[in-house]
Order: sequence, then structure tokens, then C-alpha cells
Amino acid sequence: MADKRTAFIFPAFIADYRDDPSGSIPRFSLVFKSLLARAAGFADNGLAGFHRDSNPMTGDELRNQYLSYVYSCACSDVLSVHGAKPSMIAGYSMGIYAALYTAGSISFETGLLFIRSAYESMRRILPGMQYGMGAVIGLSENDILGIFQDSGFSLSIVNRNSWHSFIVSGESPQLEAFMLKAREEGALSAKTLGVSVPYHTGLLKDAASELSGTVAGEELNDPQIPLISLLTRQVITDAQAARNEVIRNIFNPLDWFSTQIEMHRSGILTFTECGPSRALLKNSKFIPGAGKFVIWSSLAKNLPLP
Amino acid sequence: MAKITENTRIEVKEIVIAFFAEECETDKSLITDKTNIIKDLDGDSLMFLELIEIFKKKYNLDIELKTIGKYAVKHPVETIGQLIEMQMLIIEHENRLLELDK
Repeated sequence: MADKRTAFIFPAFIADYRDDPSGSIPRFSLVFKSLLARAAGFADNGLAGFHRDSNPMTGDELRNQYLSYVYSCACSDVLSVHGAKPSMIAGYSMGIYAALYTAGSISFETGLLFIRSAYESMRRILPGMQYGMGAVIGLSENDILGIFQDSGFSLSIVNRNSWHSFIVSGESPQLEAFMLKAREEGALSAKTLGVSVPYHTGLLKDAASELSGTVAGEELNDPQIPLISLLTRQVITDAQAARNEVIRNIFNPLDWFSTQIEMHRSGILTFTECGPSRALLKNSKFIPGAGKFVIWSSLAKNLPLP
Repeated sequence: MAKITENTRIEVKEIVIAFFAEECETDKSLITDKTNIIKDLDGDSLMFLELIEIFKKKYNLDIELKTIGKYAVKHPVETIGQLIEMQMLIIEHENRLLELDK
């Protein structure tokens, strides 16, 4: 039975494993290894060489996405064994695939296929140019848009994490120039992220068109757990809407801040971050009055095995 | 301009150390003025932002984040001691912080 007050949140990438709590949940390692072996067999046999400390693969963009997905699916499976069932789920950026897996909408392998297809489509339609993303903390949305305008940057704000935390996406030379300008204008932090694709911008519309062919050829079920859209805040409960969300997710901006507030407004009290870091938990401190964030392992500890 | 006393300094130091001890799961006694926030504590800018919000609320400060950001570009903070000094200046000068460089 679903806990009406709990949501599972799935992150996009893995920055590092410094906060990884999985060692405290003995069953996790077994489940993770099993899913990793399936991912290596299906998508990329190089994944078999993953080691959290000696070969974390965080610098390899596609493998990072695969591993983030594998980790999140393992969290989800472990929590399910412990009897935890959320009443709502959300996938932060590329975390959408783990969210759909958790909702029973796609198989584990279909998620891997979508990740690969999306990434390869994005790389294919952007030959020759360098792109990236950056995180800016300490400026307002108007401050950032003002810099874009004054400097003639054709960059996009692609996510709002809080009133003072934004993700920017676009061509790398402009992005790097923007980061310097943002610091001059008073950003507490402005750093590029380790990605080469301008996720969630209109630049990827053609890639989304390519991805739609892959999505159309795969079986998707109606999500058994409502999935909230980070694009529109609409709750997705049918397969066709889930298909559309996978495709639109690539080239449309997100708004995590509004999504968390909307989830809380709809009755969610506890948000469970299903990944190795605490990035979303840390960010939640800047979304006042919008519920409590916990990491997945604490939920597993509180729900002993049946 | 707020009046800074020795008690203010003690209070700011206690808040800063307690904050990082909790956030970074470190014993308070291991945090000194010389502790490097990034290298020794794995601190990050979100922690800095949170700490600013704590002080803004506690001392009812009138200061824009970007004023602090602009000041920090010229006066980078690496250690706990430097952070405490900057917080003292923020409390004392608020939005006039940048006038210190004139």
C-alpha cells in the first residue's frame, strides 16, 4: 500500500560517492551488482569495470547516466523489498528513466535503451560545437537574464532549483564567459558541470525527434505510481503521457523548485532522494516550508525487512 | 551600522563551528580558525548560502546576496577564520560592505 505522504525522487547524474549511504544497507550491494551486470550485458560491457572508489566513471557522461540509473533502480528495488511504496515519483532531469522504472512503466532494459538513444541522438545532432551546462548560486533569475541580455549570450536557464540556484545551458564558449560575468556580478558560485550536451534546451529539439522513434518502438505501461512532470507540474498516469514526457524532457526547461512545492501542496510530506548523493536534500533547505527530505537509506532502515 | 562586541564575535564563531560540525558530520573540537572549508570539511557554496541565511535571520540583516558575492570575489574565503571575519563584516556593514573597498 502506498504511503500517501511520501515521494521518491531520482537524481540525474552522480557527482561523487562521498555521501553514498549504501554501505549501511547490506542488501543494496547484491541488488546493485545484479542490475550492473544486466546493464553491462545490455548496454555497455565497460560498465562491468565500475568500482565506486577506484573506477567510479563519473567523468564519462554516458556511463555516468547509466550508473546513476542503475543505482537509482537498485534503491527503488531495495525500498520495495522493505515495503516502501511512494504515492508519487519525480525524475530530476535524466532521473526520469529511473522514475518510470519504479512506476512499472518501463523495464530496466528499456530505461537503458532510452538513455543511450537520447544521448546518442543529442551528440549526433550537435557535431563540431562544444556545449555544456553550469550551476549558478547566489543570483536571481532576473540577474541572470540581465547578464544574458547585456552580454548578448544565447544561453538558457534550464532549471530553477531555488530562488538563488539555477542551471544554465548552451554553447561552451558563451557559458564560460557567462560564468566569469556571473561571479563579477555577485554569484556566490558559478561553475560548469561535467557535461557536453546542452540538456533541456531547444537546441535538442531534433534529437528529441530522433528519440521519439525509439520511444514509439518500446512497450510502456501506465505508471502505477503517479509521476509528476518537472516541465508542467502535471501528474502523469498513462503510458502516452509518459512517452511524451520522455521526449519533451530533453528539450524543455525544468522547474524543480515549483515541482517540489506542488508535490508538497498535493500532500507529500517526505521526499526520499534515491541516489548516492544528498544534492537534492541540500537544495531542499532553500525551498521553505516544502516538506522534509531524507536519503533513501534512512527510509530503508526505518522499514525492517518483512 | 551594527555595533560589534566581543560577545558578537564569540556568538558568530560558535554558530559557524556548530553549523559546519553538523553539516560535515565532524567533531566541533576538530574545527579551528585554520580549518580549510573545502579541503578539510568538503564544504560547498550551498553551505555558505545557508550560513548567510542563518545570520541574515538572526541579526535581521539588510544585505543582498550579490553584495556578499561581489565582496567574496575580491576577498576569497578559504578557512573558518576567514569566514568568521567575513560574517563579522557582513553583520557590521550590511549592504555597505562594498564601501570597505573604496
